[in-house]
Amino acid sequence: MKNPIQLSPKDMINAYLLFFVVHGAQVGVGIQGFQRVIYQDARQDAWISVLLAGIASHIVTFCMIKTLEIYGSNDLYGIQQDIFGKWIGNLLNALYILYCFIAFFSILRNYIEVIQVWLFPSIGTWFLSATLLIIVIYAFTGGLRVIVGVSFFSIVLSLWIFPMLSFPLKYSVAESLLPILENDVRSILKGAHSMTFTIIGFEILNIIYPFVKDKKNVRKPVHLGLLFTTFIYLSVMMVSITYYSEGKLLKTIWATLTLFSFISFPFIERFEFVAVCFWMLIIIPNMCLYLWAAYRGAIRLVNIRGTTFVWLFSFFVFICTIIVQTRIQINAINTVFGHIAFYVIFVYPILLWILAILKKNFTSKKVHKNEQT
Amino acid sequence: MKFKLPFNKKQPLLEKETPKEKESLVRVALTTDHFIQSIKSATNNPADLIIKSIPPNITLIYIDNLVDDQTLNNDIIANLLNNPQETPEAIEMTISIPEIVKSNLLQETVESLVNGSVVIHIDGYPQVLIGNIATRESRALSAPENESQVIGTQVGFNESLTTNISLIRRYIVSPNLCNEKLKIGTRTNTTISLLYMNGIANDQMVNTLRQRITDLYIDELLDSAVLAEMIDDNSLSVFPQMLLTERPDRFCDAILDGKMGVIVDGSSMAIICPQAFTEFFRSQEDQNLRWQIATFLRLLRLAAFFLSVYLTPFYVAAVTFHYEVIPQAFLVPLSESRALVPFPPIFEALLLEFIIELLREAGARLPTKIGQTIGIVGGIVIGTAAVQAGITSNILLIIIALSALASFTSPSYMMGNVIRLIRFPIIILAGFWGFYGIMLAFCFILIHLLRQTSLGAPYMSPFYPPRMKDMRDSLIRMPIPLTAKRTSLTRPKDKNKFEPEPVKPEKS
Repeated sequence: MKNPIQLSPKDMINAYLLFFVVHGAQVGVGIQGFQRVIYQDARQDAWISVLLAGIASHIVTFCMIKTLEIYGSNDLYGIQQDIFGKWIGNLLNALYILYCFIAFFSILRNYIEVIQVWLFPSIGTWFLSATLLIIVIYAFTGGLRVIVGVSFFSIVLSLWIFPMLSFPLKYSVAESLLPILENDVRSILKGAHSMTFTIIGFEILNIIYPFVKDKKNVRKPVHLGLLFTTFIYLSVMMVSITYYSEGKLLKTIWATLTLFSFISFPFIERFEFVAVCFWMLIIIPNMCLYLWAAYRGAIRLVNIRGTTFVWLFSFFVFICTIIVQTRIQINAINTVFGHIAFYVIFVYPILLWILAILKKNFTSKKVHKNEQT
Repeated sequence: MKFKLPFNKKQPLLEKETPKEKESLVRVALTTDHFIQSIKSATNNPADLIIKSIPPNITLIYIDNLVDDQTLNNDIIANLLNNPQETPEAIEMTISIPEIVKSNLLQETVESLVNGSVVIHIDGYPQVLIGNIATRESRALSAPENESQVIGTQVGFNESLTTNISLIRRYIVSPNLCNEKLKIGTRTNTTISLLYMNGIANDQMVNTLRQRITDLYIDELLDSAVLAEMIDDNSLSVFPQMLLTERPDRFCDAILDGKMGVIVDGSSMAIICPQAFTEFFRSQEDQNLRWQIATFLRLLRLAAFFLSVYLTPFYVAAVTFHYEVIPQAFLVPLSESRALVPFPPIFEALLLEFIIELLREAGARLPTKIGQTIGIVGGIVIGTAAVQAGITSNILLIIIALSALASFTSPSYMMGNVIRLIRFPIIILAGFWGFYGIMLAFCFILIHLLRQTSLGAPYMSPFYPPRMKDMRDSLIRMPIPLTAKRTSLTRPKDKNKFEPEPVKPEKS
């Protein structure tokens, strides 16, 4: 087992904070409008697709933790270097960094689009991109402690949005969910597949694992985080299916935000204006964590300082956000990224686990043989 | 090159110390004439230097008004005249003052001379007697004006270090109260005291604080606020990371919690550290009230903080960009009140905030009696007149007044200033980019607060890192039996204040 990560306890975090990290990394721009994509395939059984995707995330996480436990204190980059050797391992590491880059970019670009559509149609993409990047850079340069702190506050401070779902509940019709399981398994599975873009984020575990102080207690907070995410997605999906009519949901791009739009209090109306802006707090930990994951990989490949890396990274993201302009392009990126992410997140970790087990047995046999001779 | 603050730069020690050492090794002269000459040249022959000869061979040197005349006359001069002695040992026995030392170094002699000691030289002996009879002249103890409270002690620190320490010793009657004396400032030679409880305070933190103070290389230190800024973790941040207080009870409470305190001679404010962000919104009065009321007051102060920072920007953003979020019933009076105002909301808000700040500053600078008049009359006259003249709307006036009022609820004046200051950039952001701008500012402040530390302890504790036990005495205050643990912010050696007892003893 080579390249283990040695850390002082000062840089490490407690295991229970992984709840916030995992949940914070998962919930982001996807939740604003994932209903339409899944509804296209699974119709009123879309909630089953969400549930299936949630279960799948638990299974994959189980494999991830198993793989990480084999290596003790190492992250995905080190494991890949160990299993595939220096060259292929580093190539895969580079690809994973690229994956983080695309994820980061897609979150940022989607959020910018939401701001432009819902709040300021004429505001420049470059301005939104630059301001958000500056905030992210500021959080990143504070180190992992600050990034985890932002994840924590992002969740705690946005919990109040969740009860807002009870407003549309007044107008929802439970019969919309019936008949259950009308659609065939294939379309439900296809719906679950479409959940990828929304549910990913928990792969941060692969990178953050060596930074956890008490590695024995990792499972509970991580699975609780996943459970919480699944619960939120499920409730949002249920409310959306029962609230919207069939045709309406298929035409609503940001169904969650539209749900908010008629919430009114005596002192505030059109709640979605507040919600859209408040979403910034929800996506910042998302971006910070992907940025940090990319950074952890980059220092394995090249000798680069954190500040240099973050400015380079942000510069490329900035250029890309300016290039990609139309709704069609963004949608295409989301779809393609969803497909890539499906293989990176849901297929590859299981493969890696098997390879890790094989490699472990192989080396231990070899050691055993050496000891005998 | 990393940017470093100038006063944090450590001066190269070796070059500085060589001449100093030589100077400090100069011995006291044998004959009185030579000695007087050397003292005069070392102190630049000041007008208030008094040299007095007493037969047979004794010379007294002191600086007028620095020494206590009564002690000098009754205990030193009278004794020496009545029983003439000729050797230092005999004189030391004769004089009846508590603090008297022998020295044969000129440097030490001169330093104690300017510090308020009387120097006694005997002709023919290469040493002097130094008797410390400095005057203890200071302002009488009075109520703390900046941190007044209704229920609780009504005494505040004054400018004398010894009085302040005696106040603290009266609260904490324990031999474990450590008091370390340090000197700062190459020219002012200010005495400062580092206080902490042995057995509670974390050694590492005490060492860090001591290191930070001794590493300072400055020539003057006139107030503890300056020291606090210099030994802060991040001197560039607008948020103070150490608390300044003038209440001895608050100081003692913090010390007993495992914190460290610094008192500067000549300053009526004491420094307390480490300090978390939420602790700035606590008042010592909270401890004296029932826990329900204390909790309510703490939540009120937190609400006031958010109100003060975000209410005006929210108004500006809503009126400038997001008319949709304002309920219809409210839209009519709002537009009526704004109908005559010729300015955009951002300008209107900044103007009013500016006027309020002017009033506050004028009230703070003027003598108390005039200040009150300015505050009340100026506020009402300017407010009413501004609305009638059509410069601002009534509703904005209410909002600005509310947020100004809310900013004064902060128990720490330092934090109140911060609240008033950070409002301005947020108003500007709100005026240009609506809710998006407010949210940018919110995220920025949140991340900024998360990045801060106080003496290495997390500034956002007990929220992040989440410490459930500490939350019992943070935003809320649980009943005293439930708050038996000391805050883990200070990493105390002794974690329990007392053995936790059941809340209702009769039931168990």
